Amino acid sequence: METSTTEQGRAYRGQAHTRVNVGPAERKASLAGGAALALSGLWSVGRRNYLSGLAMIASGGMLLYRGQTGHCGLYEAIGVDTVHTQESGLRIEKVVTIGLPPHQVYEFWRRLENLPRFMKHLASVQVTGERTSHWKAVGPGGLSTEWDAEMMEDTPGQQISWHSVGSADIPNKGTVEFKEAPGNRGTEVRVIIDYYPPGGTAGRAAARIAHGLNAQQLEEDLKRLKQILEVGEETTARRTVE
Amino acid sequence: MRAVCWHGKQDVRVDTVPDPEIVQKGDVIVKVALTCICGSDLHLYNGYVPTMKKGDILGHEFVGEIVAAGPAVTRFRVGDRVIVPFPISCGACWYCKHELWSLCDNSNPNSWMMEHIYGDTGGGIFGYSHLYGGYAGGQAEYVRVPFADVGLEKIPDGIPYEQVVLLTDIMPTGYQAAVYCNINPGDTVAVWGCGPVGLLAMKSAKLLGAERVIGIDRFPDRLQMAHSQCQAEVLNYEEVDVAEQLQNMTGGRGPDSCIDAVGLEARGTGIEDVYDLVKQTLHLETDRASALRQLVKACRKGGTLSITGVYSGFIDKFPMGAIFAKGLTLRGGQAHVHKYLPHLVKLVAEQQIDPSSIITHRMSLEDAPEGYRTFVKKQDSCIKIALKPEHAAQKSEPASA
Repeated sequence: METSTTEQGRAYRGQAHTRVNVGPAERKASLAGGAALALSGLWSVGRRNYLSGLAMIASGGMLLYRGQTGHCGLYEAIGVDTVHTQESGLRIEKVVTIGLPPHQVYEFWRRLENLPRFMKHLASVQVTGERTSHWKAVGPGGLSTEWDAEMMEDTPGQQISWHSVGSADIPNKGTVEFKEAPGNRGTEVRVIIDYYPPGGTAGRAAARIAHGLNAQQLEEDLKRLKQILEVGEETTARRTVE
Repeated sequence: MRAVCWHGKQDVRVDTVPDPEIVQKGDVIVKVALTCICGSDLHLYNGYVPTMKKGDILGHEFVGEIVAAGPAVTRFRVGDRVIVPFPISCGACWYCKHELWSLCDNSNPNSWMMEHIYGDTGGGIFGYSHLYGGYAGGQAEYVRVPFADVGLEKIPDGIPYEQVVLLTDIMPTGYQAAVYCNINPGDTVAVWGCGPVGLLAMKSAKLLGAERVIGIDRFPDRLQMAHSQCQAEVLNYEEVDVAEQLQNMTGGRGPDSCIDAVGLEARGTGIEDVYDLVKQTLHLETDRASALRQLVKACRKGGTLSITGVYSGFIDKFPMGAIFAKGLTLRGGQAHVHKYLPHLVKLVAEQQIDPSSIITHRMSLEDAPEGYRTFVKKQDSCIKIALKPEHAAQKSEPASA
């Protein structure tokens, strides 16, 4: 009983955390604008402009709600998150089920040289030491950036965590969890990556690379990983060898 | 090589394009001997399926001979005559392993599109838009076929291509539609749409033990074909109230199972038909639901709706209350062709079923644009068109029934 309560509590906190997706400055603006809009709406209704007045009250109310709660449904629908982008970096999280046991998926990932085979933004990953590696990424327009990474946690068959070290253009950290899926379905692979896009002119190129990284790309990366592990190679609809 | 290419709404052309090659280890190249225009190709032709691009090669019903095989192919050799199922399946994912072949997790390289629209992806399909993977189709001289060991089926010696070409799609599609009806002795199965899939669904329902089949359409020649080929009782929905008539024909119960072999371009009658046409034209709904609504209304309590016609998005005024009140079961989806192929090939070899009986038109691949025009307008009693890639093939000639 106690365990499940704790788990529920954790799940709930997790949910509350992801719900806030509007930054503090924007929340203040939403509150002020929402109040003004709602008041003008009331005034319009008072002057018998029912349709526009009600519309203003409704949108004012939505803005007030957005300011009050810090949650924006529209942002959620289009995947924008001004809290986590501006203040604590860009977090992307995706999960896929792969029909192989956890240790096999882990072993493939643990050979870090394999990562560029399915992560499209990576040009190469070189292992430089027992826990260290050198990463190269390419972004839009052939821009490239490099950094060194250090493995923080390595639990065979369960989890790998890493973070960038030194003067990385785009500081980043990540975790991948391997969990046995129910009913003999294989492994649930969950990846969480945090990027901290740099500001200023110096970091502009790096920022453009970071900008190209998003949840959909990670999702496609994981689909490719699944294809490579289940089928043996990435599937393609190409008709001819290029 | 020559191939039928999509250029826009109601614009298909026969173009010269590069020959396909072995791209992956499990590929084969099939030299197409015979290919068909499917009713669902008409949804592409009419512009209802998104993500088509200029130059896309059409076609997902084709048979032929293997002329090249990748190094990983073990079940087949160059020279084998093969049936190619329209869904592309990897054979390795959970869905393929559970015989849900058309729901393959890995064969659609554009899976993200469908995931965003539908919540998850289906497998790739030959020549059926980039949503379904962007694979080149079989209305061409040659096709690259991936996962050959998983999908293909050998054609037994002595069986002509024409008798098995419909086993690539509409025969298993009609068969699955009937399987989904879970037919018991004494059952009546009503089938909306007496096109190719509808006719084969009726034949399959009889084969699976249905006592009566009832075909519903508005074209007299199609109804005639349902009557003569499938021993179906027939209803013209423009002349009678279908639900009421079906009640009268079934002791007031309604058919035990209802098959929708129509899909998103359904036509109805009166105000309802106009409503759907207008809303679809204005993109306020993507699919027209007239046939589906009739299925729900007509089906007996506790019965099954088997939906095999293609739907792509959203429909309006769907009678959910009736589905709940009558305790109906809904089943549908793309056919899991691989699952039924061995059995259907056996049925054809034993002459228990001859799907070629519904082919009404035979043309050269070069005449495909004319074929699409004829089929879409349902001119010349057109039910099914088979195309032969050889340039020297005979021109259009209706089959003697």
